[in-house]
Amino acid sequence: MSQSPDAIVIGAGIVGATSALALTNAGLKVLVIDRGQIASGTTSAGEGNILVSDKEPGPELDLALRSRDAWFELADDVGGGFELEAKGGVVVSSSGAESLRTLTAKQRESGIDARDISSSELWELEPHLSRSINVGAYYPQDAQCQPMLATARVLQAVKQRGGDVVTGSEVLAIENPRGVVSSVVTSRGSYSAPVVINAAGTWAGAIARLAGAELPIAPRRGFILVSVPTPHRIFHKVYSSDYVANVASGDADLQSSAVVEGTQSGTILIGASRERVGFKEGIDYSVVRILARQAIELFPFLASVQLMRVYRGFRPYAPDHLPVIGQDPIIKGLWHNAGHEGAGIGLAPASAQLLADTILDRHSFMNAAPFFPSRFFGGK
Amino acid sequence: MEVRFQVIVLGGGPAGLNAAKYAANAGYEVGLIDAGSRLGGQYWRHTGCEEFDQSVHHNFDQGSLLMDAVLANPRITVHSETNIWSASIINDEVVIRTNNGAFITQRLILATGAYDRSLPFPGWDIPGVMTPGAAQSLLKGHGVLVGKRIVVAGTGPFLLPVATGLSSHGASVVGLLEASGKYSWAKNSLELLRNPAKALEGVGYLLALRTKKVETRYRQAIIAAHAGANGSLESVTIANLDSEWKIRSTYKLSCDVAAVGWGFTADTAIASSLGLALDVDASGSVSVVVDENQRARQSNEAIAIYAAGELTGIGGSDLALVEGAIAGLAIAGSTQDLKTLKKRRKKLRSFAQALTKVYPVASGWKSWLSADTTICRCEEISYSDINEAREEFDASDARTIKLLTRCGMGLCQGRICGRTIADLMNSTPQERINSASRPILSPITLGEVAQEGLL
Amino acid sequence: MITFTFEGEPISVEPGTSVAAALLSHGERITRLTRINSAPRSIFCGIGVCFDCLVEVDGEPNQRSCITTVKEGMVVKVQHGS
Repeated sequence: MSQSPDAIVIGAGIVGATSALALTNAGLKVLVIDRGQIASGTTSAGEGNILVSDKEPGPELDLALRSRDAWFELADDVGGGFELEAKGGVVVSSSGAESLRTLTAKQRESGIDARDISSSELWELEPHLSRSINVGAYYPQDAQCQPMLATARVLQAVKQRGGDVVTGSEVLAIENPRGVVSSVVTSRGSYSAPVVINAAGTWAGAIARLAGAELPIAPRRGFILVSVPTPHRIFHKVYSSDYVANVASGDADLQSSAVVEGTQSGTILIGASRERVGFKEGIDYSVVRILARQAIELFPFLASVQLMRVYRGFRPYAPDHLPVIGQDPIIKGLWHNAGHEGAGIGLAPASAQLLADTILDRHSFMNAAPFFPSRFFGGK
Repeated sequence: MEVRFQVIVLGGGPAGLNAAKYAANAGYEVGLIDAGSRLGGQYWRHTGCEEFDQSVHHNFDQGSLLMDAVLANPRITVHSETNIWSASIINDEVVIRTNNGAFITQRLILATGAYDRSLPFPGWDIPGVMTPGAAQSLLKGHGVLVGKRIVVAGTGPFLLPVATGLSSHGASVVGLLEASGKYSWAKNSLELLRNPAKALEGVGYLLALRTKKVETRYRQAIIAAHAGANGSLESVTIANLDSEWKIRSTYKLSCDVAAVGWGFTADTAIASSLGLALDVDASGSVSVVVDENQRARQSNEAIAIYAAGELTGIGGSDLALVEGAIAGLAIAGSTQDLKTLKKRRKKLRSFAQALTKVYPVASGWKSWLSADTTICRCEEISYSDINEAREEFDASDARTIKLLTRCGMGLCQGRICGRTIADLMNSTPQERINSASRPILSPITLGEVAQEGLL
Repeated sequence: MITFTFEGEPISVEPGTSVAAALLSHGERITRLTRINSAPRSIFCGIGVCFDCLVEVDGEPNQRSCITTVKEGMVVKVQHGS
């Protein structure tokens, strides 16, 4: 790879990787740079969710619907190998049938395949669900992948098709004489390119600042509990309907709701918590306790299943809970693709497509304007 | 359930026992938390039958007296069979969460000891291949011989007492293999001779073995294990090694147990949870950094955390006893003169350091691996799985390999394979320290985690 | 002496004996078959660190036989996979 690629992507997580591939497939020579190793940010702390069921109608849902299908196209393109599975999601309600039925009706209007199911259908889908949970909805479109393998495979495709990936290189400056991007200076060398994409996730604000730009992306901490491998007893992603409200919440305090699913190796993943505590070190075991309790309320058998591991991630979110996709309003040639909060994995391929279309001035599958970073600075 | 103590000691081996004793004698109420069903840790593992215990231990009286003193001390409460699943600092207190409730203090002494270091080789996962510590603990703790024809192998002074114990209790030790050279002690003889008691102890083992016709074969190692029809160990392939531990020639030996160990690894996960400063030595061994009073380094001035024994650097039981005493006295703010203890500690530490020079682990063990050698026992990941991930994804560090292959993600959470992966991937000291973190220290049911009242 | 069963067969031991010690002293070595390859495993570290010597005790899987003390009437089985 020369010192002058056609485009530089900062961030080798799932968003950076898919962005790089979208541009590579369009014929550009793309260089991906990360200060750490691949997927060493939030990507490796994700569950691999590819959901439409938890999105509110609007641009994010439109992005999610396209992205869900784009994941399967991506698997075809790079040859799979990341446990992509159209597992289906089951949402259960603790606040009675009416509110869930209202939600699913609204969702169907917006294009989500949301199916109301009877309690006997619910228990057939998930036989080990607590019998006190008797209201549910089924979302066959919800899918799952292994985010680490997905990122690795996508980056391999980028390299095989003429791109390159440089790890262990910290970006020190993004030079932009007279407000036009010219090069990226890293701890391991400088590269010049007319297009620089900020896909640094939770650290996208810091990267923007290296160019003299601003991006209001902040961390929202989450924990995931991992059980010991067990015989498969949970067959879909199962979560309670207050999950949707928590995602959209602007509350800084702890938002938690039960999200439970099995993996191919037999472990059970339990989430989900959201807190605005900055980049706080360590594990808050009181949150771990709440997540364990909520999971047991859904699946009583979990009480005797052992917890093996807990890990933590910092979701990148923007103040209006929409991702940021588009050119920086001040610095020409600097593009952002960040702030996907807890939906980074799911939204990555469509975000990458949207970004590539915008950069290359091509017609895209949706209007990208709702995601433009200029929305934070008074429009345009 | 939540219990507060003025001092909490984690670990009931030599270091923890002495720490508890000295802190209690200095006037403090002490809680001693131990995972075992009896005190003694690994070093003083015993059955409770005195005659037998005396026969397997080189000097059980000292340990016996200390254990009795701790149990009889009205200021010490012992919580046995208590497994710690997490530890954190909340509101200027250390909270230790266990399967028997939470223990809280502002003064903590970590003395959780170490376990055998393992290296992978073809067939090391066959039933019958185990660590020397396993053979030792079954003999000392239960009077059970793990097999009839035993090969003891690896490196380090621990092989001698293990072979001696097995041999004198009726096992046929058909091979005692030390991968280091016969005269490597000579290069460090000054330090070793400064500790005549320790040197004599070693000679004692060699003599005892000689009466049983067990001779140490130097520069030899088991490089492959083979199973019989029943799936259990039947024979091993032994190599004559060069100074880098590469294979020069091989021969086979039939046996039903291979007890193989390469020194020790301390479990520093709890130290990592508590934010203690950690260090890595030249061999890649992670230890807790302590000052001259055994006090660990962390940022919360309201609490005092000390560490003693193998956690501060592998050094054996005599050093553990001294460090435990210093920690117990220091945490109690005792004005007792620590000079003598510190002098003894200095001597024992330099002896321990000299031993690591006598028994280094050379990198040639990597050449013993074949494609299907299991690297991660829990998740059944092979050497070729790792190499494929390296090549296919240009993965060059341990963390990425772990995330791509699931190595280290099984039940033991990398206790056995973690150091191996770090060695195979040439991890930096900081990477080794980062991977010491393990927020769930041992498995605990979700039901127990979900209980109310837990901090 | 206390009695427990291993794969349905009764074994009697002194109180305080670990399941691993009990099995070994009765010629039983294999405690489990692994999840992916159904490979036989046994005691490896002997002190509760390696999680290889797992058995199913009274219906609960993932019990480390080396640190589980035999209790009267315990039902121990070879663990298959997870």
